[in-house]
Amino acid sequence: MKASTVVAVTLAALCATGCGTKKGFEKPGFAFGCPIGDTKISTMGDLVRAKVAKEGGQNPDVELEEIRCTTTGDLLKVDVVVFNDESDVERLMYKFRWSDAEGMRAADEETWKPLLMYGNSRQTVTAIAPNPKARDFKFIVMGQE
Amino acid sequence: MTRTSSFHIARIASLLSLAAAVALAGCGGPKTRYGDAGSVETVTNQFGSTDLQMLAEQMTQSMLQAPVIASGNLPIVTTQEVKNKTSEYIDTRAITNRMRSSLQKSGRVRFAVDQAEMQKQLDELNRQQGEQYDQDKSVQQGRMVGAGYRVTGEITSIVKETKNVKDVYYQLFMSLTNIQTGIEEWSETKDIRKTTER
Repeated sequence: MKASTVVAVTLAALCATGCGTKKGFEKPGFAFGCPIGDTKISTMGDLVRAKVAKEGGQNPDVELEEIRCTTTGDLLKVDVVVFNDESDVERLMYKFRWSDAEGMRAADEETWKPLLMYGNSRQTVTAIAPNPKARDFKFIVMGQE
Repeated sequence: MTRTSSFHIARIASLLSLAAAVALAGCGGPKTRYGDAGSVETVTNQFGSTDLQMLAEQMTQSMLQAPVIASGNLPIVTTQEVKNKTSEYIDTRAITNRMRSSLQKSGRVRFAVDQAEMQKQLDELNRQQGEQYDQDKSVQQGRMVGAGYRVTGEITSIVKETKNVKDVYYQLFMSLTNIQTGIEEWSETKDIRKTTER
């Protein structure tokens, strides 16, 4: 009797843990809340590689740790966590490029925004899609002279 | 040396110096090229294009999350003056114009004619009431729609300067107020710091 109770409790705990993970609720075509289309994404690293593009000659010496998405109303909301693991200050520029469900540009090109990263610091960059048609995005980053 | 040959030498010398002057002017003269309108501009630490674009974009993104706008009820909004309380000239209408066009493209907001454009609106409305116009096809008086909300704000700056360092801090405050009730439905501040060292 006691053994069966232990098994039942263990199973319930395992189920609750499994159900509680983000993966359990993920819709097809999404990873960490972000649209991924047919791309195979199994880790946060995969998602960062799929969503980040570096432009210009100067690659910023920062790590893009996390990208998470949600929706506010019918607009996509994106959080990108930038980590400067060096002790020096790093200056970079970023912008989001929004595309619609067919992969076409969904809005005008955003302006480059400067970002100052202190040494050994993290910052979360947040953006809201400019319109409901913007269903996907790329986070573009460039070093600042 | 004959008079003719010295005249030729003088003429060649003047032509050479003219060619050299043209060449020098070509090398050292100003070059004009098209640039990226969205690039980060740091020519001086006065209010610049990057500040304008960034503030308008951030304000628009924040405003899109305001419950009265996110609800999808297509509120009608009018823009009022954004007061410039800084020590420099800033065309604050350029900020509200940029916000207005981004908000309109979002499909979440409609804009009623604002105070600055009202006279033009009335002039056209009245012009169409003239006998020269086919009244069946002219717009009618008394059909304008008033805004339910008004956007207003102010931009301030703090400037600190020493012999070698100039630090400028800008703060833009904007709010969205329900005209009927006077309740402020949304407000946001965005700030920028720029430092120049000699």
